[in-house]
Amino acid sequence: MMSDTFEPKIVAFVCNWCTYTGADLAGTSRMQYPANVRIIKLPCTGRISPLFIMKALEQGADGVLVSGCHPGDCHYTAGNYHARRKYTIFREMLHFLGVEPERLFFSWVSAAEGRKWADLVAEVTDTVRRLGPRRSAWGEPVEGIAAPRLSANPVPFEAPAGTFAAQAEAMREKAKALLAGGEVGTVIGYEQGTLPGTARPAFVSTPEEVDRLVWNEHCHQNLAVYAARKPAKPGKVALVVKPCDERSLVGLLQENRLAREDVVLIGMACHGVQSEGALAPRCAACQTRTPALADPVIGEATPPTATADPRLEQIARIEQMAPAERWNFWQGHFSRCLKCYACRAACSLCTCERCLAEKAQPRWIPAPPDGAGNLSWHAVRAWHLAGRCVDCGACSAACPADIPLYLLNLKLAQVVKDAFDYEAGRDPAAAPPLTTYREDDAQEFIR
Amino acid sequence: MARVGVFICHCGENIARTVDCARVAEYAATLPGVAHAVDYRYMCSDPGQRLIETAIREHGLTGVVVASCSPHMHEVTFRRTVARAGLNPFLCEMANIREQCSWVHEDREAATAKACELVRLMVEKVKWNTALEPIHVPVTRKALVIGGGIAGIQAALDIANGGREVILVEKGPSIGGHMAQLSETFPTLDCSQCIMTPRMVEVKNHPNITLYTYAEVEKVDGYIGNFAVTIRKKARCVDEALCTGCGECQSKCPQGKLKTSVIPNEFDLGLSRRPAIYVPFPQAVPNVPVIDKEHCRYFQDGKCGVCQKVCPAKAVDFTQTDQVVTEQVGAIVVATGYDVMSSGEYGEYGGGRYPDVIDGLQFERLLSASGPTGGEVKRPSDGKVPETVVFIACAGSRDRSHGVPYCSKICCMYTAKHAMLYKHKVHHGQAYVFYMDIRAGGKNYDEFVRRAIEEEGAVYLRGRVSRLYQKDGQLIVKGADTLSGQPVEIAADLVVLATAIQARPGSDALAQMLKVPYDGYGFLSEAHPKLRPVETNSAGVYLAGACQAPKDIPETVAQASAAASKVLGLFSMEQMEREPTVSVVNERTCIGCFDCERVCPFGAIEHREIRDRRGNLLKVVSHVNEGVCAGCGACATTCRSGSIELRGYTDEQVFAQIAAVGV
Ligand SMILES: Cc1cc2nc3c(=O)[nH]c(=O)nc-3n(C[C@H](O)[C@H](O)[C@H](O)COP(=O)(O)OP(=O)(O)OC[C@H]3O[C@@H](n4cnc5c(N)ncnc54)[C@H](O)[C@@H]3O)c2cc1C
Ligand code: SF4
Ligand code: SF4
Repeated sequence: MMSDTFEPKIVAFVCNWCTYTGADLAGTSRMQYPANVRIIKLPCTGRISPLFIMKALEQGADGVLVSGCHPGDCHYTAGNYHARRKYTIFREMLHFLGVEPERLFFSWVSAAEGRKWADLVAEVTDTVRRLGPRRSAWGEPVEGIAAPRLSANPVPFEAPAGTFAAQAEAMREKAKALLAGGEVGTVIGYEQGTLPGTARPAFVSTPEEVDRLVWNEHCHQNLAVYAARKPAKPGKVALVVKPCDERSLVGLLQENRLAREDVVLIGMACHGVQSEGALAPRCAACQTRTPALADPVIGEATPPTATADPRLEQIARIEQMAPAERWNFWQGHFSRCLKCYACRAACSLCTCERCLAEKAQPRWIPAPPDGAGNLSWHAVRAWHLAGRCVDCGACSAACPADIPLYLLNLKLAQVVKDAFDYEAGRDPAAAPPLTTYREDDAQEFIR
Repeated sequence: MARVGVFICHCGENIARTVDCARVAEYAATLPGVAHAVDYRYMCSDPGQRLIETAIREHGLTGVVVASCSPHMHEVTFRRTVARAGLNPFLCEMANIREQCSWVHEDREAATAKACELVRLMVEKVKWNTALEPIHVPVTRKALVIGGGIAGIQAALDIANGGREVILVEKGPSIGGHMAQLSETFPTLDCSQCIMTPRMVEVKNHPNITLYTYAEVEKVDGYIGNFAVTIRKKARCVDEALCTGCGECQSKCPQGKLKTSVIPNEFDLGLSRRPAIYVPFPQAVPNVPVIDKEHCRYFQDGKCGVCQKVCPAKAVDFTQTDQVVTEQVGAIVVATGYDVMSSGEYGEYGGGRYPDVIDGLQFERLLSASGPTGGEVKRPSDGKVPETVVFIACAGSRDRSHGVPYCSKICCMYTAKHAMLYKHKVHHGQAYVFYMDIRAGGKNYDEFVRRAIEEEGAVYLRGRVSRLYQKDGQLIVKGADTLSGQPVEIAADLVVLATAIQARPGSDALAQMLKVPYDGYGFLSEAHPKLRPVETNSAGVYLAGACQAPKDIPETVAQASAAASKVLGLFSMEQMEREPTVSVVNERTCIGCFDCERVCPFGAIEHREIRDRRGNLLKVVSHVNEGVCAGCGACATTCRSGSIELRGYTDEQVFAQIAAVGV
């Protein structure tokens, strides 16, 4: 008889060759285990997208188990190595979003390990049963828990006197020369914005127009977002880039969105930029102050004043929260999301012609801007930028609802750095971290 | 509207004992889209299968779910069943309610409830299934073998004797590889040339084998069954059709004069000299010389031309140029072999500095009857017959700091052979062997080593050599015998280093051309270390011999024959049939980032240009070669824009199952 105790629903994604066969073996050996697991068979862990885990949580699963062949035993040689990298990041992301880590399980079960499968299912069921039902549905806040807030201490901005003006002059000269010599058809730089103390992108195509271009602490936008787009005027494009913007170009080079010779880069040595009257937090301890790829580098950089990135403390504070608090912290922010996709439009690395968010069949991301739709959108956005985001700050700056997207991006960048010793936007020849693997990649989280 | 039929099997008592099959059928009938649901004692029996066939016809079913045992057991059976009734076999799915339900749960309620859910999952999935047709790939039944060592020779002969055409491409002027350089071979001590030469001649004369020597593969396009290979035949400057192999040219070439020649003979590893026009060794196949242009006076300063004058067949042709040929083949066997680390490269133990410190292959040449000393063991410096010889095993192998970390596998055996053959030639001589461990696994191998020690009097010292220096025309070898704990010092006349076996330089470039993975040392990787030892992840490309890892001749030949049988297996069909569960790209949404290409373990992703009607390039997108794709789905998971689907496991199908769990 079914008991009155909570019977969790657990979705297990397993590979065809090892774990599915191992589960069959448990059957032929008549090993008994709880009846809570629903197996979904796929050919390989390489096919088990982390987004399936998200989908299962969205659909109400109480726990999710992913299992495949042990390293070295993959029927397709490397599927599990690729999968392991993906799970490493995705799992950390879900934790950071407040999903209870105890509900997610990863394991290697070979075709010979019927016993291991039976024991695993028993343990997983028992763990999830003890945890009880999920405390809230996907995208809904947990009731009775306040959504914590974070505040940052602004760092005053002090740009060394005269540096911006001298750089601006040199930049305009270069831009004029490029246009006059016909080397480029368009220069994309910054001009004075409508409001005082702002700057906005400017497209100039004649030497005369160049005088509009400015360079100052308000030039925070990442103009690399225009790099992979077709210019309106014939000819090449020259971009005015900060060192962090340039890193997104490295990503575009890695992903074949662009060839280096397609753009001319006017690199601006950096002193940090301003945000809300203070030094942008991402600039406080930024070490990348001189462009590395640019054709000319204009000016001398100012070294950072802070030794530690103030945002790391925010991340640490989020990590210290209990999962339910963390969950509510994010639901609080995501509930403001309008699904305007300004973050996506501002991101120079979001180059898909049709974003997954717009894919209707099947629907990866619930369309309405409600709890589930917003959470799935933000999870997918962050996931798709893992190992690619260069921390240029464009998405957070573009968000009209002030959602601190950078926290999620930065957290994932940390995970990628710690797990794979990889930093996005450094080496155009490097393989992106989620398209490669090492046989000895860490795997403590896999049982 | 879907019309799914659900068929619940009792499997005798196997399922029915714990699962109430009638109730599952009743439940299934209530699911949206289910047109028919029944339970039956044995679905896989003839009447069971007929029941399914009849239902498909009578109810006009568009999909079938058989809830019974594991699909690993009967998926093939039931797919055939539905096909007989005219339904596409890929519209049939199985819900595993035996291995993963009735056999692992005792509680009838819980098991029945779970069986209902498993059925529901599959009903939801099958609604998204689409008819898939098997992929037929034509097969060009002709093979390319790259490398003409014993591995390549064996593979080529096996395939040719199996009735299929073979193209054998050898980089050097003759086939034979390293085996042709060996004197006698362990563990039987038969003469290498004697067992090798007939094989080489057979290759030359075989009607099914086209031999390209002094040639290299430059480019490989295509995929299994359909490769196009470009081969460069380097100019020999001797017309193969005219040359009779009389050898007149070689003997008259002024660059080959015994006293003055400076051209090291590669075949003898520099222990002798050769002319500028030469056949590498007397038994070479083909027995046609080549001109080494770098050392030929005619090519260097336009004077000479003696060979052309003396050639009775008028075969010498200085104007010959490289020829590039393209061949269509269906399978490729890579047999490019190995190299030994030269004693100079290893550096330790005076290698490269002292003329009397040589490597194992050089010692083979000193032992060989056709070698530079006519088979008498004479040391290189002064031609003296060495009375004390020290052999040092693991020179560079299992040595992380100066060499390679792996074991070269064959050195223990050939060192024992060397000690033995030396004793056969120099009866009063004494051989010492420094070793780390003796690895002599194999039929009659341990016996062989013991014979060297017990019958041939070789002194085996377990320990590493710590110092080696020259003194009074001898080599002083200092080391320790770790078994007795005593230091040892030996004044030797000759030192032979068993240097590490390495991958050929350039094997990585070849591997990249063939899309075959290779390890950190350049050895090519097999598809599975246990179960697919001669296949590679590049479908249609097979491995034979030491290009995969250090190997002795018996192992090499076994692997070559295995590779040949794989090729013949492939060639037994005019068309290859492949499972249609492969990936497919949505070219409209693909942005050409080629992350899919980076993760595909099989190199199945190609670049396809999309052009407008006027031929302007619009974009380059990914394209899956169905002949190569193995259906793992790594690409589909990696593609951010959701532009790749794996047929049979599409996102829709998975989502439908996930959603069905939550109901
Ligand atoms: C000192 C010594 C003693 C040995 N004694 C014994 C013994 O007594 N008994 C025994 O069983 N084994 C012995 N071996 C091992 C034996 O030599 C090997 O097992 C065997 O030669 C391997 O054959 P193979 O065809 O794989 O490679 P190889 O003999 O190396 O042949 C490879 C061939 O491929 C050609 N090639 C390379 N690259 C290309 C390319 N890109 N394109 C075209 N052609 C290419 C090469 O020119 C060569 O002809 C000994 C080895 C050594 C070093
Ligand atoms: S990963 Fe996707 S978008 Fe990128 S090339 Fe492959 S199919 Fe196209
Ligand atoms: S399914 Fe696997 S084998 Fe096929 S193209 Fe995609 S990654 Fe390559």
